[in-house]
This record gives sequence, C-alpha cells and structure tokens, in this order.
Amino acid sequence: MVLNTAILGITVLIYLMIIFYLGWLGYKRTKAIDDYMVAGRNIHPYILALSYGATFISTSAIVGFGGAAGALGMGLLWLALMNIVVGIFIAFVIFGSRTRKMGKNLQAVTFPELLGRRFDSRFIQGFSGILIAIFMPLYTGIVLIGGARFVETTLGINYDIALMILTIIVAAYVITGGLIAVMYTDALQGTLMFIGMTILLVFTYIRLGGVVEAHQALTNIAYLVPESLAKGGHMGWTAMPAFGTPIWWNLISTLVLGVGIGVLAQPQLVVRFMTVKDDKALNRAVFVGGPFILMMTGVAFTVGALSNAYFFQKNEMISLAVAGGNTDLIIPEFINSAMPEVFVVLFMLVLLAAAMSTLSSQYHTMGTAIGHDFYRQYVKKGKISHTIDVTKIGIGLTILASVVLAYVLPISIIAPATAIFFGLCAAAFLPMYIGAIFWKRMTKEGAIASMLVGTFSSLSWLAFVHAKEAAPLGISQALFGKATLLTGTWTVVDPILVATPLAMLTAIVVSLATRPIPQEHLEKCFDNIK
Amino acid sequence: MLGIDDPQIWVVYILCVLSAIGCMLYGALNWNKGT
Repeated sequence: MVLNTAILGITVLIYLMIIFYLGWLGYKRTKAIDDYMVAGRNIHPYILALSYGATFISTSAIVGFGGAAGALGMGLLWLALMNIVVGIFIAFVIFGSRTRKMGKNLQAVTFPELLGRRFDSRFIQGFSGILIAIFMPLYTGIVLIGGARFVETTLGINYDIALMILTIIVAAYVITGGLIAVMYTDALQGTLMFIGMTILLVFTYIRLGGVVEAHQALTNIAYLVPESLAKGGHMGWTAMPAFGTPIWWNLISTLVLGVGIGVLAQPQLVVRFMTVKDDKALNRAVFVGGPFILMMTGVAFTVGALSNAYFFQKNEMISLAVAGGNTDLIIPEFINSAMPEVFVVLFMLVLLAAAMSTLSSQYHTMGTAIGHDFYRQYVKKGKISHTIDVTKIGIGLTILASVVLAYVLPISIIAPATAIFFGLCAAAFLPMYIGAIFWKRMTKEGAIASMLVGTFSSLSWLAFVHAKEAAPLGISQALFGKATLLTGTWTVVDPILVATPLAMLTAIVVSLATRPIPQEHLEKCFDNIK
Repeated sequence: MLGIDDPQIWVVYILCVLSAIGCMLYGALNWNKGT
C-alpha cells in the first residue's frame, strides 16, 4: 500500500476539493430554515436517490457485511433483496409519497416533528429527538472509527489525527451548508461508490473465469467450511445455512429482518422523502435507487462470498483464514490481492466516500434532533425564534459526543451499535410511523404507549436476551450473574421479532381504547393523501 | 443453475437482479406521473 500513498494522497485531495465546492454550493443556496432542514423541499430526483442510497450504505455495509458474506456465504443476498424491495421500492412508493405529503401539510422539517405534529404531541417529538440524540452517536461512532482506521492504514496518518481530520471536514460542510450540502456531497460520493462497486464485480467475475464458473468454483469448495461453522449450520458458500440452526437464525432474524425492515424507520432516511416537491421525483428516484442498492449490497455480498474461491485458487486457503479470523479484513485483503493497483486507489476512495456520506447525514439528523426537536420544540415549547443557529449548535454538540464516545467506549460496546440503533428505530418508531401515515384511528395515547413499549422492550431485549449485544454489554452479567436471562434459540432472535410486534400490538389496543383524534386535525394531516 | 446447487441461493440471486430491473421499470413507467 505504501507505493500508492502519493497517488492516493493526490486523489483524496482532489476529491476533498470537490466536496468543499459542493459544501460551499449548499451554503450559498441555504436561505431559510426549510433549506437547512429539508433542502428546500425541491431536490433533484437523481440527488435524492443517490443521497438516500449513499446514506443507507456505510463502510460497514460494504466491508462489514461483505466480510460476513465471506464467512457465511451468499445467503446474505436475501438481505440485498430486502434492501431493494423494502429499502427502496416499498420505502419510496408506499411510505415516501404519504410521508412527503403529510410533512408538507404539517410543515414538518424532521422525522420526530412529523410524528409529533401528526399526533399533536410535543412529548412524542421531544422523546424521539432525545432518543436519536442519545443512541445515534453510538452508530456514528462506529462509522467514524471505521473511516479513521481506513485513513490511518491507507495514508499512513496517525489514528487520532485521522479521526480529527475526518470529523472536522464533514462537520464543516454539514454545519455550514445544512441538508443541501449533505445531499449534494452524498450524490458525488454515491456516484463514486456505484462506479467502484461495478468495477469490483466485473473484475471478480473475470478473475474467476466467468459468472457460472465463479459460482461453480465456490460450490466445489463447500467441504472447506471450518468445523465450528459447519456445526452452527453452515452448508457451504453457495447454500443457505441449515434451517433453524444458530447461523440460520442469525442470518434471517438479525441481518435480513433486523436490517432489512429496520431501514424503514431510520430518521435520516425518512427525512429525505420530505426533500422533494412532488411524487414524480420519488418515482424517478426509484429508477436510480433500485440498481444503486443492487450494485452496493448485492455486489458486496457476492464478491465477499466469491473471495473464498479466489483465495482457494491462489493459495488453497479460505477467506476467513487469509483474514486471520477477522471478517472485517476479508474485503480489503481481497481487493489488495486480486485487483489491479489503480483500482485499489479507487476502492479506497469508495470506502472513504461511503463513510463520509453516512457520517454527514448522521451529524445532520442528530443535530436537528437535539437542537430543533428536543430543545426548541419540547423544552422551549417552540417559543424561541425559528433560526438555524440552535440546530447548528446541536450538530456541534452531537459531533463532539460521537467523537468522545468513539474514544471512551470499548470496541465491544460500540461494535454492535448499528444493530442496536436499527433495532431501536424499528421498535420505537416503526409502529407509530406506520400508524401515522396509514391509520387515522391511531390516537395520541396509542402512539405514545407504542413508542415507550417499543423503546424499553427493545433495549431490555438487547441488554438481557440477545447474546450478541447482551454479552459484551455485561449488564445482565452484573445484575443477575448470567450473560443472558433466556437460553437456547431465544438468544439469537433479534429484538425486531419481539419488540416491534409488541409495540405494534400496544399501538392498536391503546388506540382502540382511547378517544379518536379530532376530524379537523386528521383532515389537515391527510389533505391530498388518497 | 448458474453454478449454484441450492435453489434458495440461485433464486435470490435472480430475484435481486429482477427487483432492480423492476425498480427501473416502475420509475420509467411513472416518469411523468405524480404532479
């Protein structure tokens, strides 16, 4: 990698100059609160699609989940299918249109504000805001650490300095340029990611002699599955794990359902539906979004699995062995070993773009959650002037919090952060969000009860039952003397299968037992929604 | 099929490609709808 440092350094410098230009453009075009918060509700469909996709796909989706496919095989493609069908098609066509119209009817500029105004409750807006402000810095921390590690290893810059540089660069354009700057830079980063991943797929298949030949080579080495994985249900890299085994449960419940459905209630993604002026833009964004996600997760999972065939042909080892047991190293090892040198530089840029595009949206969402949703609308009851300064201070504070967390918390706690945040959003927000845009009979009390039940059941399940988080968190161990309260299959069942249905049931029961929302308010919310 | 023995895998491989094409078709067919 050292040979590349000069070329990579120059490439990164050019990339950053373009990023700063786009950030400056965002700053120039930000005149009012709507510009800063929802990009003036007039963003181009191409920018919407790529911004949504690039925010959705972080470095961990490519390197982390691609590496997981290197260990577990192509069964992860079920998640790629969920990402396209649920994450793009259902999200844009079914949720996006209603969210955009309701956001406009209620003049909401954030996801918590949309929920709060729909149910006429400042508590919902404030609680959602504080939930995002507390748990999102963890998720940001893991993306930040990944980005800084990448800068450290590729440019040879000290880790601490790398983390600071990355934070300051992203913070600069997010704080000054708001969501317009975030989405413009996302679009550039998304374009880079699309080009890089397309080349990666083509090169991988060429290396292995063609599409069918590559798959066949991978099928032929199923006997090399390590014994520990085979005991867990692993049947080879071109086969699904055996039904009902721990690996099958992990694959289906956490990866496919947890991440696949959890995406629908991600505040930084939902707010993007409110950035376009009509449904035409949403329809056009689907045209770009579907193939974009296919080329992100579909390629990462396929290439991750196929890396086994490559390493076997090269030195008769499987990827997990080449990476020394660390799945996060499988994709970087494969790129360094199998790809031409010039592509290594491009791919490093792709990973930097993936980290920055996710970070920028996390910063913006956390800042608006604490500054606008919690402080201005809940603490101050909306009685302070409607400026963007409070949000800017909020962004500054939450960026500081995520940097501190990245340093203070042990990696065992911060590593499951993505799963924790997705699980929490799916339980606390998803039932309330579905009710808000589809069910007029849902009441304020039903929404609040659902949010609280979802939040606390999801966090309890993560802390006391789901082994992947409960064991490293150690709360259950400290309180009850055992790593998890339940045993057996329960410890691999994701909270989305427990907390989300519980919150959904709560929403229905409590809503039916309480007085409906006045018709007048509903007409305002659902104006122009068929 | 496609060098993959397990139908659960080659089916999902094809479905991924088809769903992306489906998204493009939907976008193209509704290109000017929704104003």
